Amino acid sequence: MKVIDSFRIVWRNLWRMKLRTALTSVGVMIGTAAIVAMMALSLGLKESAVKSLENFGNLTEMDVEPMYYNQEKDEPIPDDQRKRLNMEAVQELKKIPGIASVMPVKRLNEQAKLKVGRREGYVELVGVDVNESAAYRKNDVEKGNYLTGSPQEVVVAYDVPREMRDVEKEKREARRRNSGGGRQSDMPPDMMGGGGEGAAFNIVDKAATLVLTREYRIDDEPKFEKKELRVRVVGQLRKSENFRYSSAVYVPLSVVKELNDWVNRSRGNESDEGSPRRTREQAKKDTFEFDQMTVKVESREQVESVVKALKEKGYEVWSPARELETINKFFFVIQMVLGGIAAISLLVATIGIVNTMIMSILERTKEIGIMKVIGATVFNIRWLFLMESGFIGLIGGLAGLGMAWGAVELVNYFGASGGIMDSLNMGYGGGGPEGEPSKLAVIPAWLALFAIGFSFVIGLLAGIFPAIRASRLSALQAIRSE
Amino acid sequence: MANTKGELTVTGVNHSYGTGKLRVPVLFDINLHINRGEFVALCGSSGSGKSTLLNLLAGLTKPEEGSVTVSGEEISKFSENQLCLFRRKNMGFIFQSYNLLPNLTALENVELPLIFAGESVKKRRAKATEILNRVGLDGRIHHRPNELSGGQQQRVSIARALVNQPDIILADEPTGNLDSKTEQEILHLMREMNKENGTTFIIVTHEQEVAEQSDRVIYLQDGRVVQKRTRPA
Ligand SMILES: Nc1ncnc2c1ncn2[C@@H]1O[C@H](COP(=O)(O)OP(=O)(O)OP(=O)(O)O)[C@@H](O)[C@H]1O
Ligand SMILES: [Mg+2]
Repeated sequence: MKVIDSFRIVWRNLWRMKLRTALTSVGVMIGTAAIVAMMALSLGLKESAVKSLENFGNLTEMDVEPMYYNQEKDEPIPDDQRKRLNMEAVQELKKIPGIASVMPVKRLNEQAKLKVGRREGYVELVGVDVNESAAYRKNDVEKGNYLTGSPQEVVVAYDVPREMRDVEKEKREARRRNSGGGRQSDMPPDMMGGGGEGAAFNIVDKAATLVLTREYRIDDEPKFEKKELRVRVVGQLRKSENFRYSSAVYVPLSVVKELNDWVNRSRGNESDEGSPRRTREQAKKDTFEFDQMTVKVESREQVESVVKALKEKGYEVWSPARELETINKFFFVIQMVLGGIAAISLLVATIGIVNTMIMSILERTKEIGIMKVIGATVFNIRWLFLMESGFIGLIGGLAGLGMAWGAVELVNYFGASGGIMDSLNMGYGGGGPEGEPSKLAVIPAWLALFAIGFSFVIGLLAGIFPAIRASRLSALQAIRSE
Repeated sequence: MANTKGELTVTGVNHSYGTGKLRVPVLFDINLHINRGEFVALCGSSGSGKSTLLNLLAGLTKPEEGSVTVSGEEISKFSENQLCLFRRKNMGFIFQSYNLLPNLTALENVELPLIFAGESVKKRRAKATEILNRVGLDGRIHHRPNELSGGQQQRVSIARALVNQPDIILADEPTGNLDSKTEQEILHLMREMNKENGTTFIIVTHEQEVAEQSDRVIYLQDGRVVQKRTRPA
């Protein structure tokens, strides 16, 4: 028998007893609708919770540090067992599945000032291994290019040009405001300041100066020394949610190393530029450690496994992603409870299908006998009845999915206008990062497919016993029955 | 191997219904051989075991003792599923009460065996239409059984039995529900089919008419074959 023919026969039989088919599928419909709606609700809530978390930073980006304290043993990790953030560690991290790239950084211990033309702003110098970080940051470049390795090149974070101010102009304006009375008081303050979002100006491909100041003491008298570096801004990154890099100016690692040496150098050390310093620098190279490593995870789904792997290897992770675990655990429990309730309703629906199928077989005993006599095999009969009950499940599943979809739309509509979302989000500070309205409930494609497949399987399972029963009927007795 | 298609052999068959004190012996030591293309009538009084014997030949019942061989295959040893497949290929059935599926049209009823055999829509429609024309039902193929007369329904059921082109047709009182005029027509039709295709026919009957028109009459009395009469030439 061809499958298409069997479906035609099955459909015909279902259509023949429309009312019973419909009533039986209602059971499945309610069960499926319950499962889908509950899953949709918990998925939606979880998604908005995760979205709120993302406001604190990109979840796929996390900072890694050595673990200092063993939580399980409740004791500090001794210094010699602690992880070192060196190139070896970079290689180790890169091997963890799910980690797309690793960016080891060394920060300048002192604040620096970046000057472009007449504008200037305080920045944080971040030294990066150009090769390693290229893989990491290259895709984040919004304007210009990424570092190529030349010590004169810098790349700035999105916020850097926006935070720069024309100090001279501000001073002048402040003076004018003071003398000119309230004449310009209606001017928005950020326009006057030259800073803020609206007043960003392009600094890419412009010459810039990095100004560093160090403090040292001679006879307990604080002294300040300035150092200026001529650089070129070769690129600007796009906006990032990782606030730890919001005022970063990326420079090659060697530059930061050198500058750190300069900052830390005491007066006494500067005087003898002989061989002792060379050897010390040599030693430093061997044991060189980064301040921090930032890793990028391939996708949000892999964040948890990566966090777990990192912890096992002896690293501490600083990222909002740590909260993901808690969120996931919470919603797992919720989903299990809701799923359990829905499963019970589906069990009842299954029994309903079994009942209907047994009734159908009783009614169609003679028909089954005739079919067997004119050439239906045991397998054919089983298949027909299995499909029939599978279809009842499928019909119920489709109807239930439709019902759940309607319910979800309603909940989202009223939820959005009723401000439930706002109150839920109060603690997190608003909806998604792009400002799109968060949904209270979502039905992802996989959930819809799962619901349809699941209801069909429920129908099939319910049909097993009746189908076997039908195929076991003796043809002769079946024909004789009325 | 000799061509045994369309032949039936029954050897040493004893059969009874029920068990223990309720056991009713029905057939005793039946030995029969029916040749290919024969048109055989199975006669006897009511309760003599005609239907039981026919069901044994069809593999619908398994003999308690003895063997039934059809077209060279010992079907009394077959499993349920093997029997189904065997019937599909080799046998057609005609019942007294027609046994058409009430919710299918005449055409669909005739198509059904071909559907189970996995025949394509085009082929089976052509075959079914052709055979329905052959049994004289051309105008009514889209009617359901309850819209057809008894004679017409039996024609449909004959068409259904023949559509697979089986070697053997088994019929249990095919004219039992029909008036004598229609009975003659149906009988004539079956005889024609038997001649045209060389199909073996075994017909259980009460009517003298049927017996007279057959090649051979097998009489059953209280579960025994009492007379095998060949039609005088
Ligand atoms: N399923 C059964 N269970 C018990 N006894 C049965 C069964 N079927 C038939 N019998 C008995 O077997 C005997 C033969 O029955 P069978 O149906 O073969 O007779 P028949 O020759 O076809 O009669 P009829 O001409 O009335 O149809 C009868 O005595 C009947 O009571
Ligand atoms: Mg009988």
